[in-house]
Amino acid sequence: MSLFFQSLVLGVLLGGLYALLAAGLTLYFGVMRVVMIAHSAFLILAAYLAWFFTTETGLDPLLSLVVTVPLFFVTGVLMQRLLISRLRPATLTMMSVLLTFSVALVIEGMLGFVFSGTQRRIRLPYSGDSIDLFGANIAVVKLIAFALAAVSLGALFLILKKTQFGQALRATIQHPDAARLIGINTDRIAGYGFGLGLSTAAIGGTALALDSTIYPSLHWHWIGPLMAIIVVGGLGSIPGAAIAAMLLGLGQSLLQIPLGTTWAQTLFYVALFATLMVRPQGFFGGRLAQRF
Amino acid sequence: MKVTTHHRLGALALASCLTLSGCMSSGSGSEGEAGDGPITIGISLPLTGDFSEPGKGVQRGYEAWADYVNDNGGLLGRDVELTILDDQSNADRVASDYEKLINQDGVDLVFGPFSTRLVVPAAQVAKDYGFLFVEPAGAAEEVFTQGFDNLFYAAPAVADDHYNYLADAIEALPEAERPKTAAYAAMDDPFAMGTAYGLKTRLEAMGVETVVDEVYPPNTTDFGSIAAKIADSRADVVVGGTQYQDAVNMIVSLRQLGYQPKMAAFSTAPTNPEFPEAIGDETEGILSPTGYTPEADYPTNPEFVEYYTEAHGTAPGEDEANAWTTGQVVAAAVEAVGCADPDPECQGQLIDWLRENEVDTVVGPLSWDAEGRPEGAHLIQQYVDGEIRIVLPEEAKEADLILEKPTW
Repeated sequence: MSLFFQSLVLGVLLGGLYALLAAGLTLYFGVMRVVMIAHSAFLILAAYLAWFFTTETGLDPLLSLVVTVPLFFVTGVLMQRLLISRLRPATLTMMSVLLTFSVALVIEGMLGFVFSGTQRRIRLPYSGDSIDLFGANIAVVKLIAFALAAVSLGALFLILKKTQFGQALRATIQHPDAARLIGINTDRIAGYGFGLGLSTAAIGGTALALDSTIYPSLHWHWIGPLMAIIVVGGLGSIPGAAIAAMLLGLGQSLLQIPLGTTWAQTLFYVALFATLMVRPQGFFGGRLAQRF
Repeated sequence: MKVTTHHRLGALALASCLTLSGCMSSGSGSEGEAGDGPITIGISLPLTGDFSEPGKGVQRGYEAWADYVNDNGGLLGRDVELTILDDQSNADRVASDYEKLINQDGVDLVFGPFSTRLVVPAAQVAKDYGFLFVEPAGAAEEVFTQGFDNLFYAAPAVADDHYNYLADAIEALPEAERPKTAAYAAMDDPFAMGTAYGLKTRLEAMGVETVVDEVYPPNTTDFGSIAAKIADSRADVVVGGTQYQDAVNMIVSLRQLGYQPKMAAFSTAPTNPEFPEAIGDETEGILSPTGYTPEADYPTNPEFVEYYTEAHGTAPGEDEANAWTTGQVVAAAVEAVGCADPDPECQGQLIDWLRENEVDTVVGPLSWDAEGRPEGAHLIQQYVDGEIRIVLPEEAKEADLILEKPTW
């Protein structure tokens, strides 16, 4: 019983982290039909920046967000305006895979060149601390990562629902031509949307760095599960991605008890195949990019 | 058209000349008597590609050994000369490299390449020509089950035997003080699993109950669930068949769940200088097997460390030490038998001598079974007072073994 409850708690925490890491990925696709293979590479880049910040200054890695979030936002806007908007609309989705794949390779290579291939971990005084909850241990670092996820996803939701920029972004997602007709500068909005997505990568990467060992090629381990999450959740839907992330995180954690790690990891791909066969538009998003 | 034909003929002629001269030089090599010209040693190493990092380490070790031998009067009074080819970490390439070294270059001896994947095809070529094949890397079981009668692994132990000294120490305890239960988590990798399961076999034979036995794929990044299983079992001993990041992540996850084992052993990671930086002060009492340490006081080791450090500015690592060991092993056989040429009779004598004898090396005295498995065990290191020290075996120890691991 206690193992079940502990695994449940770990699954919820893991699901929250997955939701944060996948949020940007689904946003890019929603806004621009871009498959952003480099998203996980940017996560690792942010994790490295957090590690570098902490080793250089001795301050808490969370403070690095003050620098990395705006930096990633600007990088995202520039990347959209200078690279992705140059792709031909007819082949955008496919070509974006190639383009962002190359960006991922460049980031990985640069990380290896600058920081070497040595595996790094931020040493935190509270890395092993935990809070007791009805007999289950909740690691402080995992709780912080979960809180970061909750706050950023909540903020993202409010931006999209309550602000004028959010309305314009949603209009761009739902019907770019109609959005242009009512005077929305869809190019600029798409750029900001991309920047917003990359800002979540800055937060996600920092959350990841709190509780994992990082190395330049780590992003290849993440992109597969994250892609599976956004397909299961419905491409372009942030709540869909969040629900799918939570369910898959929980499922992975609980299935590990009877099946072991190897088989529990296949859950993502089983869910991916099932979604593509039964409901290609995703289980929670409804028709592509029609809702938030 | 005519010109092309001429070119072709010219190329053919040139190629024949080269082949001929190759054969001639190999012919003269085998006829050569002791004392004339250097002893040539052929080696193929992965200097580029997947294994380039360890490959270069092995190259440094081989070159340092050759320089050392030449500085100290050579082998059988002759200088040694290395011919090192780059196999690009490619298994097809490594076979043709050794083919070329033996057949065309007419080398007197060969040394092995790096890693199981390249050792197996290379050893096959050496076997076909009746050559002695001593190799510095390739500890997985499949190396020793191919029927090679010419192969010797120049390191203290195969993966399964890495923890033997620790198992011996536990066995020596009074039954009441031995651990009762053990949890194992190993990466799905022949080397990492071999280390953990070698200890598992020994502990189970002593009656230590296995309460968790997890194997995880190499791409696993989240160790929360594995740690939850181990913590829930409250095992006395936790054994990790690990590389690096998996060990660090697992240890942190175990600490987060408040699990306090009496003994914790992980392969590879704890000997990495990054490890204490990642884990902090909570490394105390963590155990790890190691094949080599510059501090070991085996007869020739201080000399090796001094010579190598002087040349390179840093102390040698395990790859360099295993390469040096390979040189020592072959040199011991050559000195004892008194020959070093490609003649099958000489190579056969070298092989037979190594079967029968023990060789003193920088990683300790080595002897082999019929398949070429070394019959030793790895040193056991433990974090004592914040530093990793040798605690087992008794005769090599730098600090006393801590049996009851402090809390982490």
